[in-house]
Amino acid sequence: MGLVDWARIRSPWVIHFNTGACNGCDIEVVAALTPRYDVERFGIRLVGSPRHADILIVTGPVTKQVEKRLKRVYEQMPEPKFVMAVGNCCASSGAFRNCYNVYPGLDNVIPVDVYVMGCPPKPEAIINGVVKLIEKLRGGAS
Amino acid sequence: MIQDLIDLLRIIVFPGFLFFAVLGLFFEWIDRKFYAKLQNRVGPLYAGPWGLFQPFADFVKLMAKEDIVPEGADRPLFSSIPVFALALSLFAVLFLPVCGAQGVLSFEGDLIVVTVILTFFVILVFLAGFSSASRYPGVGAERSVLQLLGYEIPLVASVLGAAAVTIQTEGSLQIKSIVETQSSWWSILGIQALGFAIFLLAAQAELERVPFDIPEAETEIVAGWLTEYSGKKLALIRLAKDIELAFLCGLGATLFLGGPQPILPGFVGALSSTIIFVIKSIIVLLILTIIRAAMSRLRIDQMVNFAWKYLVPISILQLLLAVMVPRLIVI
Repeated sequence: MGLVDWARIRSPWVIHFNTGACNGCDIEVVAALTPRYDVERFGIRLVGSPRHADILIVTGPVTKQVEKRLKRVYEQMPEPKFVMAVGNCCASSGAFRNCYNVYPGLDNVIPVDVYVMGCPPKPEAIINGVVKLIEKLRGGAS
Repeated sequence: MIQDLIDLLRIIVFPGFLFFAVLGLFFEWIDRKFYAKLQNRVGPLYAGPWGLFQPFADFVKLMAKEDIVPEGADRPLFSSIPVFALALSLFAVLFLPVCGAQGVLSFEGDLIVVTVILTFFVILVFLAGFSSASRYPGVGAERSVLQLLGYEIPLVASVLGAAAVTIQTEGSLQIKSIVETQSSWWSILGIQALGFAIFLLAAQAELERVPFDIPEAETEIVAGWLTEYSGKKLALIRLAKDIELAFLCGLGATLFLGGPQPILPGFVGALSSTIIFVIKSIIVLLILTIIRAAMSRLRIDQMVNFAWKYLVPISILQLLLAVMVPRLIVI
């Protein structure tokens, strides 16, 4: 494992994007960043600008309205970049399945690396998702 | 020839660039770790022992990321700002008396150069926001300059207050003589305690940390003037800011805590001046971290209001006192 992979695994910066979720998942994402779970231990930081971020955490159903903005935020992130779909709505459109204006899942719009299911998922589940992503990185590195 | 080589090593390796780059990353680690401690957290843990290499990991990761220049940006200016910022902070640290009473660069009036450098940082911030050709960096840069109007006078006044004794007794504005004046009595133990408090507030504003992180307020304007920077450029800017942090902590330690002067008289042989200097800088850093953890962000109008209504008058009063009662301080 090279120096760059070592650094990449230890410093995942996340950005949070809400496509119009009911705020359930957002509260859980924010809760995962509180002192109780202390994700800074793993070097995880919440950043404001997509230009600084490594991981895009998307919550909420992906509507046709938000598609353009979501793609734009995704394209603004520098490579290498990863996407986490958090919550049932985001991963598989959840309660909004077969709605005329909702995509059946985030992977219809942008490539997704990790799905975290739950309505809403617990903060532990979200952190576990990030750990899975890091494992994936580590597996790709060796 | 040998002397030239030693001078070059002094600039590049020991009290110069490399030493301060490492010290800057180390200071960021102390800052984050102590900040986490104050919030009842653990802080960085898994990158090296106790997360010691966390800032280094961030730096390497950013260096390896894609480097984006926005389409509308002023390309030459946008790309050169990170290099300028790093060069400026590395130039600034050469004036700090890390080993012995004088830094690598030391001449009559170097204190004025140091205060000018402190202003130049803001000019770079402004140019960075301006050349990004984006709304959020623009607003961030505007706020940064507005903030400068508030804290610059207190900063210069507190620096001059620390130098007041030296000016009167030796007619000198050199960091070396300020350090030597403090051999028996640190500036902070007297009327300069007020100057030190003003310096800390102004340094916090200069470094754009809470409560004065208005130019990069991430809940309002994304990441302020840094919004469009990514990859290598962001890594260099972050390193420059870390070195600036180490520089301002070192400047506070130099002007108010006696710099590399021994902590207790007769303690000279036990600790080298470098270790004493670093310990004193860390003390300043810890105070700055406590301020960061204890406060929340002000609005820009509140900040300028506070600075002009209270900070500027107090700093001028402090300067007058420092000029009028120097004998009390020297003893």
